[in-house]
Amino acid sequence: MTDQLRLKSFNLGKFVIEYLVFIAIVLLVIITAIVEPRFLSAENFTNLMRQFGPLSFVALGMTFIIVGGFIDLSVPGMISLVAIISLSLVDTIGEIPAILVGLALGAAMGCLNGTILIISGASTQAKALFITFGMSQVYGALALIHTDGTSMNRNLLEHEMPLTRVLGSGMLGPLSVSFVVFLFFLTVLYIFQTRTFLGRSINYTGGNIVAAELSGIPTKRIMILIYAICGFMAAVSAVVLFSRVSVTTPTVGMNYERDAIMAVVVGGTSLLGGRGNVLRTVLGVSLVVLMSNCMNLMGVQSHLQEVVRGAILVIAIWLDHRRQ
Amino acid sequence: MKKTLTTLLILIVSISLVACGGGSAPAPAAPAESAPEAAPAAPANDAPAAPAEGGQWKAGFITQAMSNESQAFSWREFQRLAPEYGFTMNMWSGETGPQDEVAGIEQAIAEGYDAIFVNPSSIESIIPALMQAKEAGLIVGMFSSELPEEHQNLRDFFCGSDDFQGGQQAGEFVVTHFPDGASFVEVGGQAGHDAQIKRHDGFRAGIAGSNIVELDSQNVPGPWPTNEAMAIMEDFLVRHGDAINIVFCHWDNGASGVIEAIENSGRKANADDGIFVIGVDGNRTGYAQVRAGTQALSVGQSFTNMAKQSLENAKTMLEGGTVPAVNFIPLDMVTLGSIDSFVEPDW
Repeated sequence: MTDQLRLKSFNLGKFVIEYLVFIAIVLLVIITAIVEPRFLSAENFTNLMRQFGPLSFVALGMTFIIVGGFIDLSVPGMISLVAIISLSLVDTIGEIPAILVGLALGAAMGCLNGTILIISGASTQAKALFITFGMSQVYGALALIHTDGTSMNRNLLEHEMPLTRVLGSGMLGPLSVSFVVFLFFLTVLYIFQTRTFLGRSINYTGGNIVAAELSGIPTKRIMILIYAICGFMAAVSAVVLFSRVSVTTPTVGMNYERDAIMAVVVGGTSLLGGRGNVLRTVLGVSLVVLMSNCMNLMGVQSHLQEVVRGAILVIAIWLDHRRQ
Repeated sequence: MKKTLTTLLILIVSISLVACGGGSAPAPAAPAESAPEAAPAAPANDAPAAPAEGGQWKAGFITQAMSNESQAFSWREFQRLAPEYGFTMNMWSGETGPQDEVAGIEQAIAEGYDAIFVNPSSIESIIPALMQAKEAGLIVGMFSSELPEEHQNLRDFFCGSDDFQGGQQAGEFVVTHFPDGASFVEVGGQAGHDAQIKRHDGFRAGIAGSNIVELDSQNVPGPWPTNEAMAIMEDFLVRHGDAINIVFCHWDNGASGVIEAIENSGRKANADDGIFVIGVDGNRTGYAQVRAGTQALSVGQSFTNMAKQSLENAKTMLEGGTVPAVNFIPLDMVTLGSIDSFVEPDW
C-alpha cells in the first residue's frame, strides 16, 4: 500500500515536470479569462495568431540548433539584416524577388555560421555562444551601415507590396495568413525531424557528438545544416516581421534570440541537446506569446513583465535539469 | 542596389576574416572595430570615426546608441556642421552599455579634446566621468538629455528639446480638440528611459483639470520597438474596444505600429472620425502619417538645431564668451494644417 502511494506520488511529480508548460498555459488561460473576459473574444484570438508570427519561426529554427547541442545568438543580426536588405531591394527588383533574396541570404548566413564554427573548432555550446554572438554583431552592424542607422518604412517605398500586406494582416477563414504559413513550416519541419534519417541524426549529434561521429553520422554537415535551417527560419521571421509592421529599424531583430531560446527550453527541449522536437517548441512559443498578451490585458506593467519572463526562463532551465 | 551589393561584399569580407582568424578559441569579428571609417553611423565603441579635416578644436559626441536612429542622424548632422564652427569630431557610442560612454569620455580627456557633447544611456553611470572631464577643463554640453539638478554643475550647458514640454504640448493639443472630454490610452517608450518618463509626466500635466480620462498605459520593454507598440495596441483594443478615442504614443515609429493595429481591427486611425493618434519625434514616418491623415499630430524635435546650438555654444565658450546654461530647442507641432511650414526631416 505504501509502495503504491509512493509510486503514485512519483508519477504525479514526473507528470508535473513533464507537462508543466501545458498546465501553465491552461492556468494562464483560465485566470485571464476570469479577470478579463474579452480574452476569449475572436478579436483577441486573431491578435494572438498574429503575435505568434515572428517568434514562432525563429523558435522552430532554434529548436534544431539546441537539439543538435549548439546555440545561435546571431538571430537578431540575421533578422535585422534580412529585413533591411529585402526592403531596400523591393524598389529595384520587386517584392517577391526581394523576399527570395532575403530568404537565401538568411540560409547563407546560417551556412556561414556553421562553417565558421567548424573552422574554429567549436564543438561545444559555449564556444558556439561566443562565435554566434560575434556574428550577430557583424550582421547587425551591416544593417546599420546599410541604412545609416535610419529606419525603413515600407509605406514610403515606390513599389507596392501586396504579398507583404496579405502576410501581415490577411485572413484565411478564421486563421491569419502568417499562422497558416507557420503551420506549413511546422508540418514540414516535424516530418523532416521525425521521419528522415538526416532529421534524426540531429538528435543523435546533440545527444553525443562523439558517438554520432563513430556511428558514421556526418556531424560537420549536420552542424552546417542546423545553422542553415536556423538562418532560413530567421529570414522567414524577418519577412513576417516587416509584413506585420510598416516601419523596420536596423535593430528590428533585437531580443528575438532570448525569446526563442526561452520558448524552446520552456517547451521541454533539453539545453544539453539530443532531446526535443518542434511540437514542444510550439507549446513554448504559445506560453511566451500568451503570457505577454495576458499580462497586457490584465494591465501588468512592463517592468514586472520582464521579471516574469526572466523567472520563467530560470524555472524552465531548472526543470530541464530535473528532467536529466 | 550599389549599396546593397557593397553591404553584401562587406559581409563576405568580414566573414572571411573571421573564418581565417579561426582557431580553437572563438574569435568573432567586432563590427565596431572594422566598420566606422566606412560608415560613421555604425556603432563605434572603441574606434571613433575619422575626424573631418581642417578644424581647430576637437569635440567628441558621446551617445547612447547608434542603433537609435535619432542619434545616428544627430551624429551625421554633427559631422556636417562641425567644420562650419571650426571643429573636428569623433564619436563614441554606448552600444553595449554605459561603460562604453565612460570609456569614450576618458579617451576624449586623454587625447586633449576641447569639448564633449553627451547623451548618455544612463545618467547616473556617467556622473564620475563627467567630473573627470570638468576637472580636465573640457567643455561639457549635454545633448538631448539633461542632468539631474544636483549634478548640473558638471555640465556647461544643455541643448535639447524638453520632453516634459513635448508631452505637455501633446496633452494640451488633445484638450483643445476634445473640449467635452475623451478617453485615451498611452503606448509609452522604452520603460525607464528619461524621455519616456518625461513625456508621460508632461502629457498628464497637459491634460490636468480636463475631462480627458486615462484608460490604460503600457511601456515597451526594449529600445523603442515598433512591433511591441503594435502588440500593446492590439491588446488595448481587445481590452477597451471602442472606448478608446485617443492614443498617445511616445514615438512616431511606434505610432505606425499603433495605426496598423487600429486598421487591422477594422477601426480607423483618423483625426476626424476615427481614433486620434499622437506621436512624438517628427521623423519621416511621422510626417508621412500626418500627411496621410492617420496621425493627428507629431511633436517634432529638431536634432539639426540641437547639434547646431551645441557647436555654437562650445565655440562661443572656447572664444571666451558665455552661453545660457539651458538651451531648449523649440518643438514643432506638426499637423495636417501646419506640416508644410516645416522642413521635411530626413531621418
